[in-house]
Amino acid sequence: MMNGTWKVDARDGKLAMAHIYVAFVALALGGLAGLLQVLVRSGKFELPAGISYYTILTTHGVLLGLVLTTFFIIGFQFAAVSRTAGTLSDRVRFWGWVGFWLMTIGTAITAFYILIGEASVLYTFYAPLQAHAGFYIGLTLVVVGSWISGFAMFAHYAKWKKAHPGQVSPLLTFMSVVNMILWLICSLGVAATVLFQFIPWSLGYVDRINVLVSRTLFWYFGHPLVYFWLLPAYMIWYAIIPKIIGGKMFSDSLARMSFILFLILSIPVGFHHQLVEPGIDPVWKYLQVVLTFMVVIPSLMTAFSMFATFEMYGRSKGATGLFGWLRKLPWGDARFFAPFVGMLFFIPAGAGGLVNASHQLNQVVHNTIWVTGHFHLTLATTVVLTFFGAAYWLIPHLTGRVMTKAMNRLAIIQTIVWSIGMIFMSSAMHFAGLLGAPRRSAFSTYGDAPQALEWIPYQIAQAVGGTILFIGIILVLIIVTNLAFFAPKGETEFPVAEVAEQAERTPLVFENWTLWIGIAVVLILIAYTVPFIDMIQNAPPGSKGFKLW
Amino acid sequence: MKTQLNTNTPKTKVEKEPALKGTLASVLFLGFFLIFTWVSVYFLFLNRL
Repeated sequence: MMNGTWKVDARDGKLAMAHIYVAFVALALGGLAGLLQVLVRSGKFELPAGISYYTILTTHGVLLGLVLTTFFIIGFQFAAVSRTAGTLSDRVRFWGWVGFWLMTIGTAITAFYILIGEASVLYTFYAPLQAHAGFYIGLTLVVVGSWISGFAMFAHYAKWKKAHPGQVSPLLTFMSVVNMILWLICSLGVAATVLFQFIPWSLGYVDRINVLVSRTLFWYFGHPLVYFWLLPAYMIWYAIIPKIIGGKMFSDSLARMSFILFLILSIPVGFHHQLVEPGIDPVWKYLQVVLTFMVVIPSLMTAFSMFATFEMYGRSKGATGLFGWLRKLPWGDARFFAPFVGMLFFIPAGAGGLVNASHQLNQVVHNTIWVTGHFHLTLATTVVLTFFGAAYWLIPHLTGRVMTKAMNRLAIIQTIVWSIGMIFMSSAMHFAGLLGAPRRSAFSTYGDAPQALEWIPYQIAQAVGGTILFIGIILVLIIVTNLAFFAPKGETEFPVAEVAEQAERTPLVFENWTLWIGIAVVLILIAYTVPFIDMIQNAPPGSKGFKLW
Repeated sequence: MKTQLNTNTPKTKVEKEPALKGTLASVLFLGFFLIFTWVSVYFLFLNRL
């Protein structure tokens, strides 16, 4: 890679590792909360000492959905831009640390208010549920910290571009920049609702909140948020996995094109989370559903590209027959195996996503635990297994160690344990959801209603799956601790793939940011302006805050 | 009579496209699975109308 370095500079490595440590601490605590939840939901256990189910549910969602992801992603991306576009300048690194500390302090504040039971509002913090102002202020610091880190990455990219006029930027740097632009544009929505609605309302400056506006701003942020999680997994699939298997990338242009499509299309789609919500004209819901289905295209492009990469590699090793190439893949290498299993799980995850986003089908599954099952396939399997797979080379690369064969074997076992646990838990969630079992709810037989009694076997299966997943968490924490502190000293490669010889040259147009951000903004304005004006002009009186826990 | 038109044109090197039959089969399976899931839940929706 042009101007890249073989090894991430030790100072940049420290910055990346700081993020990764917080991410895995969040995994430990959030995972424990998850275990408690599935046990409660089975109906066989109760939480001790009057701890509320909703407190641990909020802990689980915030720590795993927001903290684990954001910290791992920013740490990984700092390492990736340092590796491919050269060592960070002192200034960029300084701002990276500022971002890190703001995010960490924000997380600590938010976690404090959740744990003392003042913020059991779940990670979506829907109004009119009202948390202590500290919860929202802490989240604001997390978002502001991530913005600072994003701008630090932009500055590093700009410096590279200045030093290499007319050249195509390194793929991983380009992808990190796209992901941070996406994050910046979408998090404006959550910043707006938190700063202008939730904080004044929770501090008592205003009595009432416009619920629909707050939910719309949240989902303006909330759906691209899932792409902010997914794109780093795609970075690993496109630009790193081909190198790990010993092959080449199918096409650099296709990878960039899919990322640009995500940037353009993944934001004006939030209404597909609000399909049953009154107060939004169906025309605008329809438009956003159409846009949602267009976001499927870059994911299908990614699927094609991955299959093609694997097949090209297998055939170069002499594979024959329709699927002979599958046998040539390095199944014993956890750096490949964990992300590959993540890819497989993305097939049912994507299928479930199409169901969620279709207006009529959404009525079958809306607010049921099907959605939770879907979410655990996309984020908690596809994305997380890919991140685990990346941690297996990234952590030893940054700490100057090597993964032993025993740890690699444990990582393979971890992936299998995770898959078994998730098949139990997520399938049970999907089926129970189709039978009407609600999400975001503690155990209840609803007055022994026959329908609710039907859900119980599935809830027990969820508990079995969740327990197996918790074993998976313990295993990955053992591996990560080993790689960070105890593995033998040595040098581990930060793999970056080369492009296949027959691939077309990458056009520079992919870095015409004015064009792509311009299109993204226009689409957002088309999809949101009229319904948003409608929500404000025809707003009901607004709601007082409720603390139902 | 045999045409002579092409005899003097320089031979262009035809690059061999990689054989991606397995990829085609895989993406077709993927597409089928997406449609199957969607239609299954759609029928459930119709059933509950």
